[in-house]
Amino acid sequence: MDFNFTQDENNFRKEIKDWLSKNLSQRISNKVKKFQRLDKNDYEEFMKALSAKGWLAVNWPKEHGGTGWSNTQKHIFEEEIVKAGAPRIVPFGLNMLGPVLMEFGNEKQKKYYLPRILNCDDWWAQGYSEPGSGSDLASLRTKAVDHGDHYIVNGQKTWTTLGQFANKIFCLVKTDTNCKPQNGISFLLIDIDSPGIEVRPIITLDGEHEVNEVWLKDVKVPKENLLGEENKGWTYAKYLLTHERTGIAGVPNSKSAINHLKVIANKTYKNGKPLIQDPLFSSQIAELEIDLKAMEIFNLRAISSAESGKAPVMESSLLKIKGSIIRQKTSDLLRKAIGPQALPYISEQFDEGWNQETIGPEYAGPLAKQYFIYRKISIYGGSNEIQKNIVAKSEFRM
Amino acid sequence: MHFNLSEERKMLKESCDRLLNDHYTQYKNHHEVSSSEIGFNKNFWEECSEIGMLSALISPNFNGLGGTGEDIMIVFELIGKHLVVEPFLSSGILSITSLTNSKDIETSVLDEISSASKIYAFGHSEVDTRYDETHIKTKANYKNDAVFLTGQKSFVLNGDFADKLICTARFSGNDFDQNGFGLYEIDKTHCDIRSYNTIDGYRAAELNFSEIPAKELCKNSDAYNALLETLYAGAFALSAESIGAMEVCFNMTLEYLKTREQFGKPIGSFQALQHRMVDVMIEIEQAKSAVMLAAGTYEADKDTKYKNISAAKNLVGRAGKLVAEECIQLHGGIAMTWEYNLHNYAKRLVMIDHLMGDSDHHLEKFKLYSNY
Ligand SMILES: Cc1cc2nc3c(=O)[nH]c(=O)nc-3n(C[C@H](O)[C@H](O)[C@H](O)COP(=O)(O)OP(=O)(O)OC[C@H]3O[C@@H](n4cnc5c(N)ncnc54)[C@H](O)[C@@H]3O)c2cc1C
Repeated sequence: MDFNFTQDENNFRKEIKDWLSKNLSQRISNKVKKFQRLDKNDYEEFMKALSAKGWLAVNWPKEHGGTGWSNTQKHIFEEEIVKAGAPRIVPFGLNMLGPVLMEFGNEKQKKYYLPRILNCDDWWAQGYSEPGSGSDLASLRTKAVDHGDHYIVNGQKTWTTLGQFANKIFCLVKTDTNCKPQNGISFLLIDIDSPGIEVRPIITLDGEHEVNEVWLKDVKVPKENLLGEENKGWTYAKYLLTHERTGIAGVPNSKSAINHLKVIANKTYKNGKPLIQDPLFSSQIAELEIDLKAMEIFNLRAISSAESGKAPVMESSLLKIKGSIIRQKTSDLLRKAIGPQALPYISEQFDEGWNQETIGPEYAGPLAKQYFIYRKISIYGGSNEIQKNIVAKSEFRM
Repeated sequence: MHFNLSEERKMLKESCDRLLNDHYTQYKNHHEVSSSEIGFNKNFWEECSEIGMLSALISPNFNGLGGTGEDIMIVFELIGKHLVVEPFLSSGILSITSLTNSKDIETSVLDEISSASKIYAFGHSEVDTRYDETHIKTKANYKNDAVFLTGQKSFVLNGDFADKLICTARFSGNDFDQNGFGLYEIDKTHCDIRSYNTIDGYRAAELNFSEIPAKELCKNSDAYNALLETLYAGAFALSAESIGAMEVCFNMTLEYLKTREQFGKPIGSFQALQHRMVDVMIEIEQAKSAVMLAAGTYEADKDTKYKNISAAKNLVGRAGKLVAEECIQLHGGIAMTWEYNLHNYAKRLVMIDHLMGDSDHHLEKFKLYSNY
């Protein structure tokens, strides 16, 4: 056991930091720190800069243009980009589709799609969920009917994150309905510009547009866009779950949020004293810090066992649950810290360039909104309840 | 001992419920009302007055028809049930309580409130005074027979549209003294006003003013007593409001669990979720009980009254958060949408904890009034 970073790793951290200070624009990091609305260009500007440096595909092997970094390096990188206030690296192409393509795609597909992901030529969306199929994904009903050299796809996907920016969507579709649901699913790569596709916004409870409905009506999809084999889509979709997911616990995000919380608790006064000196409140922060530190080590343990070849399925689920709880609890304390300053909601404050006076300190504006929207963390990507079912089923065998 | 409402109160409850229901079902949600120019519906406010919802908050000593803990509880539970944005808290409870606890107040002033002919608002919090009860930085400057106020008040509910504003200001002592401040009435036209909606869809305002004429309502220990009465009346009303909102969340979730199917059956058939609903139910019953206790001792001695209100507000803060979070979680993605009305209730439940003292604040006050 050794909890220290090596000299090389510290140098690596410095290299990342230096690069970020020069290549992440202040305009964008300001927007991220102020929780302002990001447009497509904001994401792409940063991702293209990373791509040019060769640092975009953190999880990809070198042969496909990835960094080939060790897990510790990835961990350091993730921590530094969050600290610097970078927009999140949009995961759908890079971390979701990419690994599936590498494992199951044919040569032509790999050659065509992987570099396009790497160069940010394509923006992928994830088309799994449907209105009637969330937790029970295998019950999905979007249908692809064989028409010789192409499929005709009909159905509806929903909750499609950032689908409004996407030009491509990978979809799970039904190609066989006369068998166990899991055995009749295929994995299709679809152009969002195809005739018959309509993307409609869903406004979330914070009043923002981040998710969408995607309607597919008689959409013609060439057979060459089938990934892997027909009716094997479920295996590919599940491959993602077993594929190592180092970032699932969101440790860097929680770290930076807890630091933010402490800064705010120092600046906020309760009965004439900084809130951080209030025993009741500071104990709650301290407990969170204890939880987070423990989870960070838990996460590193999972990563290291993955390096020795064991797929951390159970660990991923446990980390996702605990990670979401810590993240949500931090956002809970953040809004609590500022007391009545959490009340005002000025929507324009979240537009770029807004420069009017805030009500209360500038940091107060986004905190209540953040608390509410972060409820999503325990719902998406397999809800916490489903994660528990997975663990109980795979581990307890009762 | 019994926990039943009298026939009269049952009738009040039923008629108010019907009125609120008929009115609010016209809208998609309460934001439609609160984003109007004045933040609520003036005609509807008058209708509420006509059926006696406002005089139910005023004691017969001041020409009202109620004003007991039980009356306030009944009215505010309904306000929570329908997410009513009309100024029941500001022009109702807070202004009524501060006025009736001031000196030599004329009944006609309260008649103006209960008849809806004047809207009052109450301004005590300043931008960084949090929930500190007597932390007042706004200054009152006495010159000869007149008094002038300079300072700012924050998060003043309905402060933009009110005809009259009641606020706290200090004329001596340090910023936290229990003595040396008063309650004053000021005219909105003298203030610089910034109006906005809160995250949960209610209207509030920031007020700035400098050397504006004011009318003294009370000062020193009278003002301290009136302020505490007002803050506690507000905390109590909000606790009752929370119960109404919790019940809606619970019922919406229960209904959804019965109808939403995954894995070929209603998700409500999963025992893991049933247990979660039972946990939520327990906390709602607990919160309801604490609010009933506070209602029953609303006319008791101050220590008992405040202790029980702090207990209720603390419990409601904790239970409200649990209900909000669990009901969203058990719904899944649908509850994250603007379209589905649950988030409005969830937001109200959580934001009630940001008004009139949060659960931590009231935990401390509970300890104080229980002589820990
Ligand atoms: C903000 C956001 C972004 C998203 N982005 C995407 C995206 O880009 N692409 C995509 O495909 N999907 C996306 N999703 C969808 C997400 O994966 C689903 O919301 C999630 O799988 C849950 O499904 P559901 O919402 O239909 O809830 P349901 O499956 O209806 O579940 C409702 C409740 O029942 C519980 N439940 C269900 N089954 C069981 C069981 N067997 N035992 C115990 N409890 C159970 C759930 O945990 C939940 O609490 C997104 C969702 C959100 C909220």
